[in-house]
Amino acid sequence: MFKIEPDRSQYPAHNPDGSCDIDLSSGKYVKIWHGPNHPGITGNMSLELTICGDEVVEGRTRVGYLHRGFEKLMERRTFIQVFPIVCRVCVPEPDLNEYCYAAAIEELAGIEVPDYANWMRTLILEMGRFNSYMMYLGGQSGSLGMGVIGQWTTYVRDLMLDRFEELTGARVYHMFILPGGVRDVLPDGFAARMEETLKTAERYLDDVDKVMFQNAVFNKRTRGVGYIDPALFDSYGVTGPTARAGGATTDVRRDAPYLKYDELDFEPVTGTDSDIWARADVRRRDTRLSIDLIRQILVKMQKPGEYFAKIPNVLHWKIPYGETYIRGESSRGEYGYYLVTDGTGYPRRINVRGPSYTHAMALLERLIVNTNISDVGALMVSLHTYPPEIER
Amino acid sequence: MRDVLSPFTAWKHLFREPVTVLDPLNDRPGADRYRGFHQNDLEKCIGCGTCEVICQNAAIDMVPVSDPEDGDSGLRPMIDYGRCCWCALCVDVCMTGSLTMSNDYVWADANPDVFRFTPGVDPKPWNEEEKGYQRPGARVLASTERVHMGERTAKDRIDNFEEIVAGYTREEAMIEADRCVECGLCVATCPAHMDIPDYIKAIREQDYDKGLQLLYQTNPFSEVCGRVCTHNCETACAARHDGDPIAIRWLKRHITDEVPYERYVDLIGKPEAATGRKVAIVGSGPAGLTTAYDLARMGHKVVVYEARKSPGGMPRYGIPEYRLPYDMLDRDIDVIRAMGVEIVCNTRIGEDITMETLRADNDAVVLSIGLHLGRSTRIPGAESPDVDTAVPLLRKITDGEEVPVPEKLVVIGGGNVAMDIARSMARLQQVKHGKVGVTVTALESFDHFLADADEVRESREEGIEIFDARGPQEIVTFKSGKRKGRVKGLRTWLCDSIFDDQGRFNPHYDESDELVHPADMVIEAIGQAADVSILGKDLTEALEWTRGRIRVDVDGQTSEPWLWSAGDCVNGPDVVHAVADGHRVAQSINAMLAAKEEAAT
Amino acid sequence: MRALYDRLKDRFQLGELTRQRPDLGFVTVGRDHLRALLVELKDVEGFTHLVLFTAVDWLEDGQFQLTYLLNNRATAQDLGVRLMIPREGASMDTIHDLWPTAETYQRELYEMFGIDFPGSPRVDEDFILEGWTDLPPNRRDFDTKEYSEATFAERAGRESHDPRDHMKQKLYPDGE
Repeated sequence: MFKIEPDRSQYPAHNPDGSCDIDLSSGKYVKIWHGPNHPGITGNMSLELTICGDEVVEGRTRVGYLHRGFEKLMERRTFIQVFPIVCRVCVPEPDLNEYCYAAAIEELAGIEVPDYANWMRTLILEMGRFNSYMMYLGGQSGSLGMGVIGQWTTYVRDLMLDRFEELTGARVYHMFILPGGVRDVLPDGFAARMEETLKTAERYLDDVDKVMFQNAVFNKRTRGVGYIDPALFDSYGVTGPTARAGGATTDVRRDAPYLKYDELDFEPVTGTDSDIWARADVRRRDTRLSIDLIRQILVKMQKPGEYFAKIPNVLHWKIPYGETYIRGESSRGEYGYYLVTDGTGYPRRINVRGPSYTHAMALLERLIVNTNISDVGALMVSLHTYPPEIER
Repeated sequence: MRDVLSPFTAWKHLFREPVTVLDPLNDRPGADRYRGFHQNDLEKCIGCGTCEVICQNAAIDMVPVSDPEDGDSGLRPMIDYGRCCWCALCVDVCMTGSLTMSNDYVWADANPDVFRFTPGVDPKPWNEEEKGYQRPGARVLASTERVHMGERTAKDRIDNFEEIVAGYTREEAMIEADRCVECGLCVATCPAHMDIPDYIKAIREQDYDKGLQLLYQTNPFSEVCGRVCTHNCETACAARHDGDPIAIRWLKRHITDEVPYERYVDLIGKPEAATGRKVAIVGSGPAGLTTAYDLARMGHKVVVYEARKSPGGMPRYGIPEYRLPYDMLDRDIDVIRAMGVEIVCNTRIGEDITMETLRADNDAVVLSIGLHLGRSTRIPGAESPDVDTAVPLLRKITDGEEVPVPEKLVVIGGGNVAMDIARSMARLQQVKHGKVGVTVTALESFDHFLADADEVRESREEGIEIFDARGPQEIVTFKSGKRKGRVKGLRTWLCDSIFDDQGRFNPHYDESDELVHPADMVIEAIGQAADVSILGKDLTEALEWTRGRIRVDVDGQTSEPWLWSAGDCVNGPDVVHAVADGHRVAQSINAMLAAKEEAAT
Repeated sequence: MRALYDRLKDRFQLGELTRQRPDLGFVTVGRDHLRALLVELKDVEGFTHLVLFTAVDWLEDGQFQLTYLLNNRATAQDLGVRLMIPREGASMDTIHDLWPTAETYQRELYEMFGIDFPGSPRVDEDFILEGWTDLPPNRRDFDTKEYSEATFAERAGRESHDPRDHMKQKLYPDGE
């Protein structure tokens, strides 16, 4: 009902390829930096914006603020030594890195992971997704000035971090999914405490629904803004909730089920409008889906059994030549590890395919043109960008 | 309208209890599995450094904390928390389980250098903390189980002297070699300081040529040691603390199995140019031949004198063929010969040639005569014709001489020699009588048994009865009749302690627990002695002695400047010790010859 | 996967198909056929999704491997198209007109591997590294450890001991 037609100036004229000729000396344009220090959750990323009045005429994503050369570092480490590094590619949802890397190694080395470990991995991935969405909801509302929601979601995320802590022994970088399996079984009474956490989460999510999604301000500022034409999805490598908000049904968990997802009962959450609101809505409902999946997993998980496969001595583990790609559905979209081995004790190449890489670079630079500068934060956050995935 | 009012529901949070932790420094301990600051149980830690190797960020240094001893380097991990990423791979890979993590994570300090400390050594509040990350279950980052060594069944082996163990296949050896973590703790314990981690690595890399070269750098008796070494290295192996030690001995044997014998000499390389110096060696056991091998490779002319028909010493005349086939021993000896060593057999010192002659004709003489005289218990009845000692019997079996094979016999002794003679006799019994009738009585209890556990297991499989903690009191003989003076059995008492309060050998018996083991023959296997009668009266008087043995210095030199002694006769019975002795003596002699050379020019 | 390969094999002179998984295969193609193959896969065979585009440095062979990983959403299949190009003066045709997002990949490859894509927008613009003058860092011959040792200071006072050497030095320093 609050859908408003974008009324954006068409100045300067755009070339057919979307670029425009900007003469900074004309005095009509100003270059400003949006980030890297910005209250909106840009992470360590910035946008170099050229504005005319309050219209953005050109935007450039600038990254490199936390380039640590992970991919290169991994080439210098033995296969087991890579394991503590991979999680650091993504702070809010590190577990998918651990899974993708472990699965890639297991595939190339021919290791069969015990069933129980796969259940544990599935559980951990859903917990990670939930946490990531909590950060997103706080960030998306924060980018529109609704700070209190960020406080709630941070609290709920903290409760989930407590569950992570008792399960994995760490809060942020869990380092629990080793090539070969997982580190341990569920602690005693975990399911009950998790249920309590999920109930609290649901209570807070109800509040988030009321305060964020049933909020005239939020609706007015996000409906119709940041529209992505579904026809562009494949051109720009759009995946995950961002694509599902535009009606696509892509969800790796359904399309190419990994771990135990084929034994879980769920349908991918989709939206229709492909704008900021639709993306936020899809993620909101995906959060609920994660809660549901966690419950399903805890019920379907069998009694603790073997959780680690027999692997060679990791100190001189060599893997024959091979290459593979393992993907998983992250909270931002398709996440994947491309691993090439060459018969030595070190990976030849590891390439991390993070969804932010496609979303925050070419796509964002295209979307940002002709938006109002006050919408830039919300637009950027709506793509759910985690910069370390871009620069790795 | 709803969308305007609905956000105001947020106000209800004003009336809720705050969710913050008021005093997080004290009210918020880490979870039970939390990966906090490290703890290290110094008693369990062996300083193998595996934690340092696996650390992906080079956060761990191994620093000296105590004196090294067998199986413990004395080093302990010091952790730089500026680098540690709390991944706990060090805990997972720890060979002993000594390294753990506490659930303590709160620690602030203005001085960055305090965040570098040695867990367990430096006092920290969390040192005694029970909670925190500990490896659940066994080690998983390297296998804890030894690859089973194939061997012939008791039924297959009891009526012959063919070798029992099969040796590893390449696949088995690769898996076993893969378990090694290359800490190198074993190297110090091996008397010959063999490059164990390196030759195991050669197996992993399937570079057997290199493996053989590594073996021969430190041990010319690789075929022998690969089969019958006492493998002290395996008692120092880091893997034994949580699982089986690496089968170092079998891996060594595997290398010798894999390299074609014709290539040995090429791989080892030629000796150095001849120096013109001459050394005589008395006794062709491992000590003497190792000395000979080393000296020959240094370019000296070496002649070895052996009293017996064939060279080899104890490995040939003491160790039964089912443990060490003679042709394997011959392979080792032939390599030594190929280095230019001359071995003269059937030549007994004191009869065929005297020490004085040797001294006159050579620059140095080495005495490595081993322990070939059996000791007697001297209990009543020990003088009976049906009582013999183990070593002479073993020699007779090797040389194919006739030995008495009664249906029932008793062996006194609990060491490997006792097992050797018991199992050899069992085989002869099986052939002659179709059944085994051997009883072993050992003074030691099974908790402190001298023989290898494998020997005990295999003996039992072969039908040998072993009684532990039995002190021999009398060899019971027939007092009258046709068999007067012949053995009837062995009477033993329970031995409840072997050493007295001062640690001296002084067995204490429980006389109420008496057994008589019926037997037609008793074999004493309680120790061996060197036959020093060959030295002659003058030399015996000239030499210094210590507790019945010739006194030697650390280099094996006796009180006579021209005479060295090596091996069992001075250092106790063990092949690899003898090899180590041989190296030492060869070094010492070479140094002396070099000094002579220098003085001459 | 096999049927697809058989359809395309002769037209584009594909190398052997490596079937890594039922839903993942890799083929090698020559440079002349690459673009036509990608267009065919994208427009006819339904491989519309460019999952990733990256390079592998086979330093020993003097070659870069370019990997174009394409995904067919309908059949949930992935095909990795491998192309070997010489490391020396590495350069490849741009595909940003097929997938606009390839522009980012090509910028990264230019910066991290030194592979040029003439015609690709802003390909020589700094992407992650600013003012980098050394070798492209993802090349195998760029030694990160050497670079870090030359650039950063080590913490003072750190010294470690190898257990084997330490025991030798303490217990049998002369080798005996």
